Amino acid sequence: MRVHAPIPRFGGRFLVAPLCLGIGVLAFAITAPEFLNTGNLQSIVAQMWILGLLAVGQMFAIASRGFDISVGATVALSSTIAALGANFFGLPGLFLGPLAGLGVGTLNGVLIGFVGVQPIVATLGMLVGVRGLSLLLTDDGQVVPLNDTATAARLAFDPVLGLPPAYWGAVAFVGLAAWILNRLAVGRRILMLGSNPDAIHLVGISFARTQIRAYQLCGFYAGLAGVLLTIRAGTGLPTEGTGMELQSIAAAVIGGTALSGGVARVSSVVLGAAFVQVLLTGLNLQGVSPFVAQIAVGLVIIGSGLLEYAIRHLAQVNSRSRT
Amino acid sequence: MTALTVPMKQSIKNRFIPPASAWLTLTVFVLFALAVPRFATFGNIENVLRIASILCIVACGQAIVLILGGIEFSFGSSVALASIMTVLTLPDLGIAGGFAAGAAVVLLVGALNGALIARFDLPPFLVTLGMLMAVAGLAATLAGGLPIDAPLTDAFTWPARGRIGGVPVPIIAAVLSLIALYGLLTHTHIGRLWYLVGANSEAARLSGIRVRLTIFAGYIVASGFCAVASVILTSRVGSGQPGLAPNLPFETIAACAIGGIPLSGGQGRASQVVCGVLIIAMMNNAVVLLNLPVAYQQLMMAAVILGTVVLQRASGPIQMAWHLLARRGGTQ
Repeated sequence: MRVHAPIPRFGGRFLVAPLCLGIGVLAFAITAPEFLNTGNLQSIVAQMWILGLLAVGQMFAIASRGFDISVGATVALSSTIAALGANFFGLPGLFLGPLAGLGVGTLNGVLIGFVGVQPIVATLGMLVGVRGLSLLLTDDGQVVPLNDTATAARLAFDPVLGLPPAYWGAVAFVGLAAWILNRLAVGRRILMLGSNPDAIHLVGISFARTQIRAYQLCGFYAGLAGVLLTIRAGTGLPTEGTGMELQSIAAAVIGGTALSGGVARVSSVVLGAAFVQVLLTGLNLQGVSPFVAQIAVGLVIIGSGLLEYAIRHLAQVNSRSRT
Repeated sequence: MTALTVPMKQSIKNRFIPPASAWLTLTVFVLFALAVPRFATFGNIENVLRIASILCIVACGQAIVLILGGIEFSFGSSVALASIMTVLTLPDLGIAGGFAAGAAVVLLVGALNGALIARFDLPPFLVTLGMLMAVAGLAATLAGGLPIDAPLTDAFTWPARGRIGGVPVPIIAAVLSLIALYGLLTHTHIGRLWYLVGANSEAARLSGIRVRLTIFAGYIVASGFCAVASVILTSRVGSGQPGLAPNLPFETIAACAIGGIPLSGGQGRASQVVCGVLIIAMMNNAVVLLNLPVAYQQLMMAAVILGTVVLQRASGPIQMAWHLLARRGGTQ
C-alpha cells in the first residue's frame, strides 16, 4: 500500500541542525584546543549515539503530534533489564532491553491512542512507574554489573572499521529508522497522522493503531539506547537517564522535527543529537560547571522552540509573497 | 462584555451530584484509615493537611495553566531559585525583603514563560521544561551546588511553623489560595476568559478577546500562587536549597489530573484541585507510615495517576451505557 506524505513546505528547517553543529564545533575548537583531540571526538561520537537513538525515537512520537517524557526512565529500565538478561542468558539477553522499551512504548501508545489520555499525563505516569519498576528490580537502585565485562568492553571500545561494533549497531538502527519513516507504510502513516489527523480517518487508517506504533517505535529506540548505555558502562544503570527526555526532545526539535507534527528527517535528528552532545561535552571541557551546561541545554530547548516559530513565520511570509 | 458566561459542560448536573473525584477522595481516605495504622489519628490528619497545603497552593496555579490548555513545569526549579534568592538577600533586605525577593523571582520566571508562550505561540511543555532546566542550573550555580543555611529566627520560620488561632499558617494559606482560585475562576472576567481561551483560542480571538494577554496573565497569576508556596517552602527548610521540591510540577499536574481536570484545557474547578491534592497527600503520608521502599511509592503513584485518568476516560462510555440501560428500563 502506498501512502504519500505531504511535501514539507519549508526544507530549510533541516539545515538548522548541521548549521548549529558546525558553529558549535567551530566555537569550541577555537576556545578549547583540546576539544579536537581524537580521544575527545571519539567520546563525543560514542556519547552521541545514545542520545541519537533516543532522539530518533522521540522523533516518531513528536511526528505524530505527541511526545514522550518517559524515555529517560525507559533507558534506565531497559539498561537494567538488558544487564539482568545478559547475566542470565548470556549476550543475546541484551535484547531484552529493547523489548522492555517496546513494552513501555506499547503501554504509552495504548493509553494515548486507544484510551485517549493526553500524552503528557500518560507518559508522566509511565515515567514514575517505570522508575519505580527499575528500582524494584534492583533493590532500590543498586547497579547491575555485567558478568562478561570483557565482551562488553570489546563491543564498546575496540574499533572495527573505525567504529566499535556497538556503535555500528546504533548506526544500523538509525538507518532502519530512516527506512521505516520514509519507505514503510507505518512511517508514512505516522507522518500523515501528524500533518492531518482528520485526513487519516478519511483514508481509513486506524488512528489509535498508528499512534500506538509511533510510541512503540519511541519506546523501542529508548530501549536500544539503554542497551548501548549498558554495554558502554559495563553495568545496568537503574537510576540513569534523568534529563535525557529533555535532551532528546531538544535534539529532535533542533533536527527539524515539527512540534506540530508531520515533518521529520532522521539524518537531521541525528545531527541535532550531535549538537546537544557537543554542547554538553564542550562546556564540560571548558571547565564550566555542569550546572551552567544545564542552563545552556535549557536555553537550547527554548531556543529550539523559538527557531521553530521563526521557521514557521518565514514559511508564511514566503508563501504569502508567492501568491 | 460585563456578563460573559462560558457554558461549562455538565455544570448544572455537577451542582447537584458530588463529582466523582470527591467520591474517590473519600474512598481513598476510608481505605487508608482501615489499612494503615495510625492514619486516622488527629495528629496525622493535621500532618496530611500540612503536606497537602504547599502542594495545594501550587496546584491552584497549575490548575489555571491547565484550564488555559497549557502546562507549567518550571515551578519545580523556580521555588529552588526563590529559596536561594531569599537566603542570599536576607542580610541586606531583612526577612520580609528576602521573602519578597524570592517571590519576585518566581513571578519573573512565570512572566518569562507566559511571554514566550503567548507571544511566540510556543508549546507550553517545551518552554516550561526548558525553563525548569535552565532555572535549576541557575539555582545550583548561584548556590555552588550546596544548600546555604539561613539564620533560623522565629520570624523566618513563621510562614511554615507559625499558627494563627491554633491553625498552622500553611493550611490557612492553602485555604485562602483555594478561595482565591474559586473566586478568580467563577467570579472574575479574566477567569471566564481563561476557560474560553483554553476551550477554543481561535473562537476567543475571533470574538475580540486579547488571547495573548489573557494567556500571559494566566501564567503570571499561576506563578503568583507558586510564589506564596515558595515562601512557605523556604521557611520550612530554613535554607537555600538548589534541589528544593524537584517533583513539585509533576505532583501538581498529577493532582490536577487525578482531580479530574482534563489537560486539554477549558475545564477545571477548584474543588477538583482539592480532591487531587488530598489524594496525593494521603498517599504520600500512607507510604511513609507503612515505611515502604521508594520503588513501591513510585509504582503506587503511577498506578493512581494512570488508573484515575483511565477511569475518567472510561466514565463517559460507562455513564452513557448506564443512561441507555436506564432509559430502556423506563420505557418498558
